[in-house]
Amino acid sequence: MTGGTVAVVAPGSGRITVQLEGSEAILSELSSSYPLKLLSPRLPPHNVAVVYTLSYGGGLVAGDRVGLAVDVQDSAALVLLTQGSTKVFKTRPGQRNARPLDEVNGFTSQRMDVTVHPGGSLFLLPDPVTCFRSACYTQLQTFRVDVSASVVLLDWINSGRKALGENWSFARYYSLNELWIGGKRVARDAMLLEESQSPLEAHQLNLPVRTVAQRLAPYSCYATVLIYGPLTTDTIQSLLASYSATTVFKHNARPPLVWSISTICEGQGCVLRVAALETEDVRCWLGANLTLLEGTVGHDIYSKAFG
Amino acid sequence: MDSDEEAYILLLLSDGNLPTGSFVASSGLESYVTHGFFTIPPNLTEKGNDKLEHIVDFIRDTMSTYARSALPFVSDAHIIVEEAMKSHGTPSSKDRTEQALRTLLALDALYESMTLNHIARRASTAQGVALLSLHSKGFSVPRIYPATQQKIPVDDKGGASKIASILADKLKLLIRREETPGHLPICWGFLTAALGLSLDRSQFLHLFLCARGALSAAVRMNICGPYAAQQLLLHAIRPIVVAEASRCAKCRTGVSYSSSDMGEVSFDEGVMTKEGPAITWPLGEILAARHDLQHSRVFNS
Repeated sequence: MTGGTVAVVAPGSGRITVQLEGSEAILSELSSSYPLKLLSPRLPPHNVAVVYTLSYGGGLVAGDRVGLAVDVQDSAALVLLTQGSTKVFKTRPGQRNARPLDEVNGFTSQRMDVTVHPGGSLFLLPDPVTCFRSACYTQLQTFRVDVSASVVLLDWINSGRKALGENWSFARYYSLNELWIGGKRVARDAMLLEESQSPLEAHQLNLPVRTVAQRLAPYSCYATVLIYGPLTTDTIQSLLASYSATTVFKHNARPPLVWSISTICEGQGCVLRVAALETEDVRCWLGANLTLLEGTVGHDIYSKAFG
Repeated sequence: MDSDEEAYILLLLSDGNLPTGSFVASSGLESYVTHGFFTIPPNLTEKGNDKLEHIVDFIRDTMSTYARSALPFVSDAHIIVEEAMKSHGTPSSKDRTEQALRTLLALDALYESMTLNHIARRASTAQGVALLSLHSKGFSVPRIYPATQQKIPVDDKGGASKIASILADKLKLLIRREETPGHLPICWGFLTAALGLSLDRSQFLHLFLCARGALSAAVRMNICGPYAAQQLLLHAIRPIVVAEASRCAKCRTGVSYSSSDMGEVSFDEGVMTKEGPAITWPLGEILAARHDLQHSRVFNS
C-alpha cells in the first residue's frame, strides 16, 4: 500500500463533499469503493443534496470495514439516507475479495467522519441497524460542526430478525457518536450492548444469567437522536414543550413506548432517546415529532426517511 | 497505609450517615417503578413476579451501566491524584499539581459530555461537590489538635495531604464559578486517593455504595423491608458488585497521565473506544431522564 504512485482507495471507503452554488446544493465529490456504494437521486428541493449509502448485497458481513468522510461546506445542506436497515451478518454470504485474510473473521465496522462548515446542515436519517445472531458490530461516528451549523443525527438499532426468533441475539454492538461544536466536545454518546457476564462467569460468581434481551425488554428498538443548531430551534422547542407537559402517573404495565429529552449546549441542542415495542412505532413517533424538519428538507425527503 | 488504617477509612466512608446527599438519589429506581417496570414484560413470561426479583434486576442493570460508564473516571482521577501526591517534596511538585488539576478538569468535561441525561447530571454534580466539602470539612484535622502538636491519629504524610488540599480548594473554586461541573466519579476518585485508599478498594467501595444507595431507596419507597434489604445486600448484591468491579477494574478513559506534557490534556482514542466508558442500558437512561415527569416523587433522581 505504500510507495506506490497511484492513489489507492481503501476498500469500503467513500467521500462526499457538498457545496452551495447559487441556490443549488452540488455534490462536488462523490466517490466510493466496494463494498460501499453511494447514490444521489435528484429530489426537490434543490438546495438540499441527498445521498443514499448502500452496501452490496444489502448488508455488511464479518470483516467489512466501511469508512465514509463527509464534508458539508458553507451554507450547504445534505441528507444522508439508507435503503432499508443496515444488516450485519455473522458470516459472509458471498466471497468478498480485496481484503487481507486476517480481517475476514474480525468485527464489522462502520466509521464516519463528518465536518459541517458555517451555516451548513446535515441530516443523518438512516434506517436502523439490524444485527443478526452472533454478529459483532462497531460504529464510530464523529461530527465536527461549526457553532452556526445545524445537525440532526439519528442512530438506532433493533433486536434482529424477529421472524427467525432473534431477540437481541447479536454478540456485541458498540456505537459511538461524538459531537464537537466549535472545537468543543459537547456530546460523546457511547453505547455498548453485550452480555456483561458470560454464562460461565455468571455461574462462577453465583449470579443468575441476565441477557441483553432481558435488560432491554419489552422494547425491540432503541433510537438516539442528537440535534443541534439554528435550523432545529423550533423542533427542540416543540419537543421540550410536549415533554414538560407530560405527567406520569403510576403505570400498571410497561408502556409501549418511552422517550426522553435532555438539552445540551445551553439548550441549543438536545439528546432525544426513544424506545418502543416495534421498530415501526419508533419510526412513526419520530416522523410525527420531528415534523418541523419537513420544512427544511422538503416533503419528499422527509417521507423517504420516516414514511 | 497499613491494612488496619485502610479498614478504618473504609468504615468511615461506608457509613450510611456520611453527609454526601446520596439519600435523595434513587438512581432512577423511583421512575422505573412508576413506569410500571415492576411487572413481567410480555415477551419474557418465564420470569417470576416477585418484587425482590425486580429490585435485584434493576440493581443489576443499573450497576452494569454505571460501572462501565463511571468507574473509568474514578480510576483515572484516583491515579492522577495519587501521582500528584507522590510528587511532594520534589522540585516538580508544583507543576505536577497543576498538571493534575488540568487533567481532572479534562476528565470532568469528558464525563459531562458522556452523561447525556440531565437528571443523572444533576445528581452526580450534587454528590460530587458534597464529597469535596466532606474532604475539607469532614476529614481535616480537628481544631482540638493545635498545629504545633502533630500527634494526630491518622498519619498525615504532611506534604502529600497539602497537595490534596490545594487540589480540593482549586476544584471547589472552579465548581463554584461554574467552570467545571464537579461530577461524582471524579470527586470520589479524588477523595479516596487523598485519604490514601488503594485504587481497588476505592473502585469496589464506590460500586458497593451505589448498589446500597439504590437498595436504601427501595426501603424508603416501601417496596422492600429493611430485613429483606439486608438479605439482598448480603446474598444477591454482593456477587453483582464483585462482578462489575472485576469487569470494569481495568477500564480507563484513555486520558494521558504524562507529566512531561504540560500542554493540553489528551485522550487516547483507541483506549477510549476499546475499554473506555460507555452506557450499557439505554432503557435506564430514558427512564431516569423522565424522573421529573412523575406526578409525585420522593427522590431527586
